Amino acid sequence: MQSTILTNPLTIYLAVVIGAVGLWFMMPKGRQNRRIVGGVLAAAALGLGWFGTYEALDFANLGLSAIAFVYYYVFSAIAIVSAVMVITATKPVHSALWFVMVVLASAGLFLVLSAEFMAFAMIIIYAGAILVTYMFVIMLAASAGGPNDPGEDEIFDLRSRTPTAAVIAGFLMLAVLLTLSFDKGNQPNPLAAMPSDGEIIAEVIPNRSADVLRDRIETEIFRFDPSAEPVIHQADPERLSNVEKVGLDLFQSHPLGIELAGIVLLVALIGAVVIAKTRVEDHPEPRPSGAAHPSGHGEADTGAAA
Amino acid sequence: MIDPALPSLLPALAVSLSDAALGHFQATAAILFCLGLIGFVTRRNLIVMFLCTEMMFQGVAVSLIAFSVYHGNVTGQTFVIFVLTIAAAEAALALGLVVMLFRRRRTLDAEAWAQLHD
Repeated sequence: MQSTILTNPLTIYLAVVIGAVGLWFMMPKGRQNRRIVGGVLAAAALGLGWFGTYEALDFANLGLSAIAFVYYYVFSAIAIVSAVMVITATKPVHSALWFVMVVLASAGLFLVLSAEFMAFAMIIIYAGAILVTYMFVIMLAASAGGPNDPGEDEIFDLRSRTPTAAVIAGFLMLAVLLTLSFDKGNQPNPLAAMPSDGEIIAEVIPNRSADVLRDRIETEIFRFDPSAEPVIHQADPERLSNVEKVGLDLFQSHPLGIELAGIVLLVALIGAVVIAKTRVEDHPEPRPSGAAHPSGHGEADTGAAA
Repeated sequence: MIDPALPSLLPALAVSLSDAALGHFQATAAILFCLGLIGFVTRRNLIVMFLCTEMMFQGVAVSLIAFSVYHGNVTGQTFVIFVLTIAAAEAALALGLVVMLFRRRRTLDAEAWAQLHD
């Protein structure tokens, strides 16, 4: 395999600097917001970065089809733009909705990588379950106005904390990570290669063929109605689907991990119930003087805490 | 040392991404992770801070799956299942804590808890 790698990482560094400036402009900083300028700069940085890394691509030897790699750009752009919106939106509801876009776009990236199981698990679990929980908590903790009152943004959502230092630190780390991503020296590791799907099928699940399935179905399910004709999907004898691969690896190689994951979930469940049932005093503690906050909702919604 | 005869012994040497394609996916993962990191540090809203940790999980998941495809080894994808498990547990506990903290101070501002007392 030809090791096509960037000859000159200066383009990446330039893109990182421009992106840092753009993100700094987009950070909510009270009154003077220059979000448009920041957005244009950040988009330019993204385009410059991809332009700089384009030369490393060898489309004849990509490992994916070139069409699939076009979708890499599409989904990555959606994911990155949505991620920027998550951390710069001034309403938490908007942040959560943009995060759904991040999840969907990275599920698209998984599809580009033909990891179908994780793509749909990501959509179902993240966008379907975790984000719904977040939305519930945002609604529960909505402090200003009712649902019909657009309200004003909370002051603590309008002012970010140490944006300059955070952007510098984050983009320094990003520069290091990008350098390593496009570093040379990634050689294919033959030890990491797996046996072929045909071998796994012959060794582990030999009764996967359609004939065995048909026998079992006819003897076990359709014995009461012999006239019924089962429709059986003919499995490819040489290739495992992604779901089968992940399932085999999960249950063959990591049975202890499954048990531990179950324990972690149980502990989290019990912990969440305990936390939710903890009594807190009816009178909220007085606010520290430093925390500025729009007034007008103190006693009105104390009842919700009971 | 890798036995030089080993690649011929393995029937399918499944390195299915080129280095540069892997680098592109890693770049997206790194950008997601760093944006989540910046968001966690800068935002003052407790809920948005935890959303940003979930975004870091997303970056890690993209990275793991890209490496999994690159090495032709499904364990990377399996590990994302465990990442998802931890993310779900973390979301449940963190949101329970956020609700409890909100009941005490009537605000989601993380600065309201800057001084730890009692």
